Amino acid sequence: MTTKKRSTGLTAVCDAWQLVDIDVTASFPIRPYTAVMAEVAKRIANGQMKCEMVHAEGEHGQFSIAHGASMAGARATTGSSGVGLTYAAEVYSPIAGGRCPIQAVVGDRTLDPPGDFGSEHTDCLTMRDNGWIFGWAQDAQEALDNSLMYFRIGEDPDIMLPQIVAMDGYFVTHITQDYEVPDQDLVDRFLPPFKPKFRLDVNNPVIMGPQITPEMGPPLEWDRNVVMQRAKGKIVEVTEEFGRLFGRHYAPFVEEYMTEGAEMVFLLQGAHAVTCKSAVKYLREAGYPVGMLRLRWLRPFPDEALQAIASKFKVIGVIDTNTSYGAAGGGGVLLVETRAAISETPDKPIVQGFTSGLGGEVISHDEFFRMAEMMRKTLEAGQLVQSSTWVNFNDYV
Amino acid sequence: MAKSYPEVPFAAIVPCPTVENDKMVTGNWRSVRPVVDMEACTSCKLCWLLCPDASVVYDEAEGISFNLKYCKGCGICSSVCPVDAIRDVPELDFID
Amino acid sequence: MPVQYEKIKSVKKAPEEEYYLPGHRTCAGCGPAISYRLVAKAAGRNTIFVGPTGCMYVANTSYACGPWKVPWTHAQITNAGAVASGIEVAFKQLIKKGKIKDEFPNIIVMAGDGGSIDIGLQAASSLFYRGHDALFIMYDNESYANTGIQTSPMTPYGGATTFTPPGPVIPEGKKFFPKDPMLIFAGGGHPAVKYAATASIAYPVDLMNKVRKGLAFEGPAFLHVHCPCPKGWTYPSDRTVSVAKLAVQTGMWFLYELEDGVRTWSRTPSKLRPVEDYLLGQGRFTHLEPEHVAKLQAWVNERAQVLGLTATLPPVH
Repeated sequence: MTTKKRSTGLTAVCDAWQLVDIDVTASFPIRPYTAVMAEVAKRIANGQMKCEMVHAEGEHGQFSIAHGASMAGARATTGSSGVGLTYAAEVYSPIAGGRCPIQAVVGDRTLDPPGDFGSEHTDCLTMRDNGWIFGWAQDAQEALDNSLMYFRIGEDPDIMLPQIVAMDGYFVTHITQDYEVPDQDLVDRFLPPFKPKFRLDVNNPVIMGPQITPEMGPPLEWDRNVVMQRAKGKIVEVTEEFGRLFGRHYAPFVEEYMTEGAEMVFLLQGAHAVTCKSAVKYLREAGYPVGMLRLRWLRPFPDEALQAIASKFKVIGVIDTNTSYGAAGGGGVLLVETRAAISETPDKPIVQGFTSGLGGEVISHDEFFRMAEMMRKTLEAGQLVQSSTWVNFNDYV
Repeated sequence: MAKSYPEVPFAAIVPCPTVENDKMVTGNWRSVRPVVDMEACTSCKLCWLLCPDASVVYDEAEGISFNLKYCKGCGICSSVCPVDAIRDVPELDFID
Repeated sequence: MPVQYEKIKSVKKAPEEEYYLPGHRTCAGCGPAISYRLVAKAAGRNTIFVGPTGCMYVANTSYACGPWKVPWTHAQITNAGAVASGIEVAFKQLIKKGKIKDEFPNIIVMAGDGGSIDIGLQAASSLFYRGHDALFIMYDNESYANTGIQTSPMTPYGGATTFTPPGPVIPEGKKFFPKDPMLIFAGGGHPAVKYAATASIAYPVDLMNKVRKGLAFEGPAFLHVHCPCPKGWTYPSDRTVSVAKLAVQTGMWFLYELEDGVRTWSRTPSKLRPVEDYLLGQGRFTHLEPEHVAKLQAWVNERAQVLGLTATLPPVH
């Protein structure tokens, strides 16, 4: 029986964690993700979830505890936001390289300095080089669904990678939305119990993570590269299986919205896509040949999926709700990744960058309209007018 | 010609040894070798217990002997022996 | 009700089985290696080790191997306490939920001084605070040894290291007196810690019994083991055990247990030898002037009094 529910993106992830019967979670408070742990704590206390919550000494401790639990064979989760994520950074590569498929939920948040509780993707993006798989959910339903799919992909014996279920702070973590909680039976069919390749077991004793010589490094890292690429196929497979079983069909990598006949498209990830879709409708009515691409995965970055559709368009306006000071192109991470992904695509579109939504600001309709106008100028010029535009700061219209 | 790399197991996870870790043989570190005088030995087993490398072997019948494959010649066994039954002999004195 | 465990009666009666096997790249005469062997021997087969970065990681696992017969995992130097906590909770949950049929194992952290009381302090403290059923052992070689001997909070006053070299500006080399892990972890500030003890590789049966006792206690226990380091302290490798013994004889190391805050002495010398006897023969102390030695003697004497050791104390010159 699916249950209709009205709650937040964080509660939705807790619903997913309850369905998959997590064994251990490690908590520590930081805005805006904290409520997920408070919800888990409540459900443990009232017997709804059979899980142990370890009150970690900080975010570095949280991820370390989840790592230990996973090495012992438990299905373990944790989560954080903002500087909590950057604090834990030491252990991201050990966890991914150790092939421990823990799941972290991230309610993204602007990095210090100084304190800013608002949403920004930078915190989670700093993890992107460490070998985790992750993407942004645009709403509570997708947060729940991503959590389920990510367990299935990450724990697959062919993959064995940790995953991050990311969502915009406040916009998805806190706003109450309608979503459906799937049936326990269906979830049990979709996700088998966690069976690691190795665990700490006195009856099958192993040594995990010994010191290696430099020449042992490359093969280990090649393996990590291979599995990250292999994850792309697994993502397609699992997303399709999810659609068949649960009736919600997601585009595996890139959601296209009103791209029929679009000459220019916004490319972004996460909850700002919701406003974007609304803006696109208005823009279309006003005669702008515009559509939207929403990235569902950041790692592995979907090169092939983007390459397959890129040449349909003449201009891609990548919207970065993050900062990467000094990055190539003067914008954010998505600008760099997108340009790199399609750099060799024949008839590739012009790619320009917009930085918007920083600090937790809403990207307003008006701002989408101005971005569309700037993209139209690019279309008319037939070439890049400005590589990177920080909306409201160096707009050229 | 591409360089070939050693096989590295999944996530650098290796099986535990059962008798010895022969991936790190250390007998060739020695510059002195312990030699025991079983006449003087009282089988107190202090040398056996305190060897960092578990390379002093004690057998009920045979008494004290040394695992020369791993013994580093640190000299702790001869040093702790309460009856001076163990001498450290220069490794070069031995033919093997 | 005193805790129940199988006491090891003597050296001769120590268990034969080895769980820390020959074949590791530790220095000849390595004190921590002796401690690992004794700990593993005392703990037995149903044991999982957590090994944060340090000598007992790098030297033991060079390369892509290790000498433990029981399961062992690496942890970061920062997080052994946290990783061990995660392992402990996982076993408890998986057993409770019937997902595994294992018997709950001994979970033992073997952390260096840095990994316990300095960079690893936060995680260690939290393991003790949350009351995890694990044994946290600090193998104390009084420096960050694996990186080539740098000062740690356990380096004694006057101990030369590559970060505390003596010179005209800093004649003593190391200016600070060390932390006291027993006071920090078991001095009452971590209420879940019911048992803690210091130990020394010079007293192997005592050490092994303290391991068993710590494991027998429900909840967290802490062992602080003195492990002389021939490379770091600069003395010939055969003297590791005698240096450890001198430490106890001079009061540079005290041997006792703390059970529910009550101290029981394991060795009570009626008279402490002067610290010079300990300092002599260790290259890390050769630069010390009489005034520095006097400071050390004063420190030993004060600690002896504070800890309540009734012994004749050497004079401070």
